[in-house]
Amino acid sequence: MTTFRAASDVGGTFTDLVYYSVDEETAACGPVNATKTDTTPPNFERGVINSMRKASLSPADLSFFAHGTTVVINALTEKKGVKTALVTTKGFRDVLEIARGNRPDLFNFNFRKPKPFVERYLRAELDERVGYQGELLRGVDLEPLPKLLDYFRSHQVEAIAVCFLHSYASTENERLVVERIKQLWPEVSVLASHEISREWREYERTNTTVLAAYVHPIANRYIDSLEKQLHASGFRGKAFMMQSNGGIATVQAAKANPIAMVESGPASGIFAAAYLGKVIGEKNLIVLDIGGTTAKCALIEDGEVKVGTDYYIGKTRKNPGYPIQTPVTEIVEIGNGGGSIAWVDKGGKLHVGPQSAGADPGPAAYGKGGEEPTSTDANLALGRIDPNSFVGGEIEPDWGAVDRAFKPLRDRLGIDREALARGVIRIANANMTNALRLVSTNKGYDPRDFALIAFGGGGAMHAVALAEELKVPRVIVPVNSAVFSAWGMLLTDLRRDYLQTRPMPLGPANAPTVTDTFGSMIAQANKDYADEGIAASQITFEYHADMRYQGQEHTVKIALPIRRPEEPFEVDESIARFHDAHEQRYTYRLDTGVQLVNFHLVAVVSVPKPQLLPKPVTGRTLAQTSLPGRKVDFDKHGIHEAAIYDGLALEPGMTFKGPAVVQEPAVTLVVAPKHEVSVDGYGNYHVAISLED
Amino acid sequence: MNDAFSGNSDLDPFTAEIIQLSLTAITDEMFSSMARAAMSSVIYEVLDFGVAITDAEGELASAGAGIPSFVGMLDPAVKAVIAKHAGGIRDGDIFISNDPYTGGVSHINDVSLTMPIFHDDRLIAWTASKGHWLDLGGMSPGSLSPAATELFQEGLILPDVRLFHAGKEVAPVFDIIRANSRLPEQCIGDLWAGISALRTGERRLRELCRKYGASAVERAIRAYLEYGERLSRLGMKALPKGCFEAEDHLDDGRLIHAAVTITEDAFIVDLRDNPPQDQGPVNSTVNSTRVSAQAVFKGIAAPGHWANAGSFRPLKLLTTPGTLFHAQAPAPVGLYYENKIRSADLICKALAPHMPELMPAGHFCSICATLIRSEDVNGADRTFIEPEVGGWGASALKDGENAQFSASHGDTFNCPVEINEARNGIEVDRLTLNGESGGAGRFRGGKGIDLRYRILAKRAWLTAEFSRRVTPPWGIAGGRDGSRNRLELLRSDGQVIELASAANLELGRGDIVRIVTANGGGFGDPRSRPSAEILSDIRNGYIDTTEAANDYGLESRTNDAQSPGAGPN
Repeated sequence: MTTFRAASDVGGTFTDLVYYSVDEETAACGPVNATKTDTTPPNFERGVINSMRKASLSPADLSFFAHGTTVVINALTEKKGVKTALVTTKGFRDVLEIARGNRPDLFNFNFRKPKPFVERYLRAELDERVGYQGELLRGVDLEPLPKLLDYFRSHQVEAIAVCFLHSYASTENERLVVERIKQLWPEVSVLASHEISREWREYERTNTTVLAAYVHPIANRYIDSLEKQLHASGFRGKAFMMQSNGGIATVQAAKANPIAMVESGPASGIFAAAYLGKVIGEKNLIVLDIGGTTAKCALIEDGEVKVGTDYYIGKTRKNPGYPIQTPVTEIVEIGNGGGSIAWVDKGGKLHVGPQSAGADPGPAAYGKGGEEPTSTDANLALGRIDPNSFVGGEIEPDWGAVDRAFKPLRDRLGIDREALARGVIRIANANMTNALRLVSTNKGYDPRDFALIAFGGGGAMHAVALAEELKVPRVIVPVNSAVFSAWGMLLTDLRRDYLQTRPMPLGPANAPTVTDTFGSMIAQANKDYADEGIAASQITFEYHADMRYQGQEHTVKIALPIRRPEEPFEVDESIARFHDAHEQRYTYRLDTGVQLVNFHLVAVVSVPKPQLLPKPVTGRTLAQTSLPGRKVDFDKHGIHEAAIYDGLALEPGMTFKGPAVVQEPAVTLVVAPKHEVSVDGYGNYHVAISLED
Repeated sequence: MNDAFSGNSDLDPFTAEIIQLSLTAITDEMFSSMARAAMSSVIYEVLDFGVAITDAEGELASAGAGIPSFVGMLDPAVKAVIAKHAGGIRDGDIFISNDPYTGGVSHINDVSLTMPIFHDDRLIAWTASKGHWLDLGGMSPGSLSPAATELFQEGLILPDVRLFHAGKEVAPVFDIIRANSRLPEQCIGDLWAGISALRTGERRLRELCRKYGASAVERAIRAYLEYGERLSRLGMKALPKGCFEAEDHLDDGRLIHAAVTITEDAFIVDLRDNPPQDQGPVNSTVNSTRVSAQAVFKGIAAPGHWANAGSFRPLKLLTTPGTLFHAQAPAPVGLYYENKIRSADLICKALAPHMPELMPAGHFCSICATLIRSEDVNGADRTFIEPEVGGWGASALKDGENAQFSASHGDTFNCPVEINEARNGIEVDRLTLNGESGGAGRFRGGKGIDLRYRILAKRAWLTAEFSRRVTPPWGIAGGRDGSRNRLELLRSDGQVIELASAANLELGRGDIVRIVTANGGGFGDPRSRPSAEILSDIRNGYIDTTEAANDYGLESRTNDAQSPGAGPN
């Protein structure tokens, strides 16, 4: 019997569906297919069903379905959550409004501080107190609660967040309050901070809990409705929701902690890169995903994607944003993509991005009314993009529009079109190089120890030039690189991150405490999974810790040398790893005590994944994959008559050198002279970068 | 056309842009490496530090700072080192400065590190970092004492001396620092954090020179300064021209005054003939006062995150040596920040009535730095210093912001209660918006806070001095003045003592230090504030019904008899 596994991702414009067939007897997988339909706000689940219909898939055929949604982030950024109240420790109801008091827009006297999600009249205090070591100083006084809930009811409150000081260390008082609220008012949505975050910093944790409560009813309604529609169409498989940590969660877990879905989209490409890296033996990767408006960068070390809880929405150089203390894949995103516009500011300085022509009107060459020069127009003018197969051959470039868009800048600079185009690309590349540095050199990593994996519509176009700049020795452009992120959605495992703040000096005396702490976190993970019908034997654990020198504040995350949790904890090896990681990142080590601050347990349950299918070899020669040559401008490497290859026709084992361009309908790989391209067994391109200058 | 393209025909604008982008990226990187490696919360949370790249002459090319004050505090350090060591500066040298009267600028706790960057044996730029160190000796823990009467009582002076000689540590200087600090581990840790920033910058600047050539880098920096100047001059075109004056009273009653003259091409801040320098430490060096004028100028001419030496070229500062705003050695300057914030506020007060959309009414105008040292039963010694948040002034566009750090701060973070309690031997009993009135207006001044630290240690000592204890933040256009900053000691025996200041004041277990920061000034006649906004203020407890009646005249209005009640608690 054949079933299907599918994943769908709802974006702002399109709803993507990727899927493949599995023969349940032989476990043989079919090829991965993808389809796109319009996103259907406000009933996003309709678009999901539409996409299945377009792919001629019935929910009844699905054995596995994973779903990424923007319903949480949309509710937050559009402020369309429910009316939420906060219950907190006596004396601290303004923590949410005081926030951290920072003003990143240093010279602005008219700074506007972000407004809290709960107005002051809906922030209530209860008498209680927990000490920083988790000791119960005062039990919570529940007596005012009935009256308080009446008050909230009279103000049409729909959700309540409960956050007490130091509740990461002792959850007792929060539990009692939530229990009582559920008795007194079963219909209201109520979340306690310890259900969402077990890390310290009361503003961050309070805000996270408030935001979680604010979207809780909406996310639950959404998931319920999606499940209902799937089941009505005969779906009998398991449904999962994509999470910000790059994993998936059962619908049950997602409904309990909806804020964990806040960034469900962007991570999948990063995880796909990690997965592919393991298959092809590249465990250290700098990841670059270039789309129409932005470029995203991340770093994978030893096969591991970095996940942290230092995440904000709405944060810019001018705005402090709102912190969300939930595990999120560490990504740097900048406003540079194919549609980024080149412009001159009032002081006469040239920039590329972050403004983008987007999909509509798009670059000037689309001929849809774009009047400003973009990166894509520049790549076209330099011959890097094939004018005969522009946008997959769907559009004839509007050269008149390109010339008009370039003219004001050309006149101002007194240079020709190609010189301007080269300059625009150089600046775009400089922006992306700086972003790539943020995830590599700025964190103490040497790019020479990494390969650069590039995907998205523009990844292959810029990757080789960026690798030269960063001195990365190899570039990998995966097969189907334009839809690589969508493919990644089928590669995610069930994943839960447990973080627990429990500061302690790290030494032999505390080794048993480390073992015990992880032991209780494992017990919690086993219980959480068991509630969803998953056996402990299916779970694998990764052990991390956020550590620092005594006296420091910020921590470094390291992987701990724990293979089996019941074995004695290796203190010396852990400390040694910390010293190394600290020195790599900050250039020095100290002869000071080391402190463990946060325990971080990752509990993963592996799900079946599509096999990577080998690309067939027919015995075709390289010459047979050649397309008509053309002149391509490689900037500092000069203008050359480049070999052009049809990427779909290239076969495993083929190699060639630049100057060359590989073309697929949605991918253009630009290879400057000297660099050598080879095609591996799956059809991925590997470019060996010649670093001699 | 007068722009980046025509001014530098020998350097193409793309290369210039790429080098300039890199300068920003490099200072960002220096900043994050210092913040993350620092040992003390005043650096990593309060962001009381800055990093910079200057050109070979010490002109600021790019700054990374958490607070506006630290943009413009590092170039004087480079210039002082150049002046002192001309001819003897070598590759691999690092210099250390904290003498406020030479390269240090602010006060002894702010320690600058500077490093020359060479390419092919030619000096092409400097990297610099500066951070607030917790203790460098002196008469009082934390080195800052309201009781100081000379600079020598404020700690170890490091007069632009070598810390590294051609790449090698000058070990005696490290030893001297260690021996002079009550918190040697934190100081040395913060010192290495600063060095890490310098080296990060060095590495990247060298790469830039290798790639584009040193001369392209130098020319791109020059063009960058010209760009900064151009932006400021463009911004000045929109400003009203003329001479604007203001006066104010210090809390001890002395009169201070400022005159700001804006012409087509200059912005002249005249602070001459102000009162003589203090016996005590609330004095500013002229370089500190200049930084204060720079921040105001930048905020109205070219607001935005970014600044370099070019941004400040139209600014001229006039002062009289020997006065509060231009103290002379060896006057103590430990609490310079309470002086500097007043000079900035005074300049703002002169300008605000003439540009009410750019410049709000007066804010709480104090760093409210509070230093508590405590000693455990087991003898462990802990010190923490925290600035406090307060209310900002209202403008013609909006209410003032509640509970923000002062205008001298920027991307400064308060210390979370949970972390404060875990490491500093105190319990925080309360952290809320204050219940004080003040700041009424068509747009209301923002609220300050009410914060209470309970001492848990066996013994502790408090050092603090706040401005605007007596003279409140100013309102504009009929808006009322704000409230006042206040420091109280609630003794465990029930006694309440209001303190004018505290210099190493001894506290016992169970005593509470209460800090109430001011509400900002209001804008416009309170009686013109719409009733709906007043009712919402009452419901949220920002004002009470008495204020609504007395200041806003709510009762006399006909259409709103209903009281909304004042929140849940």
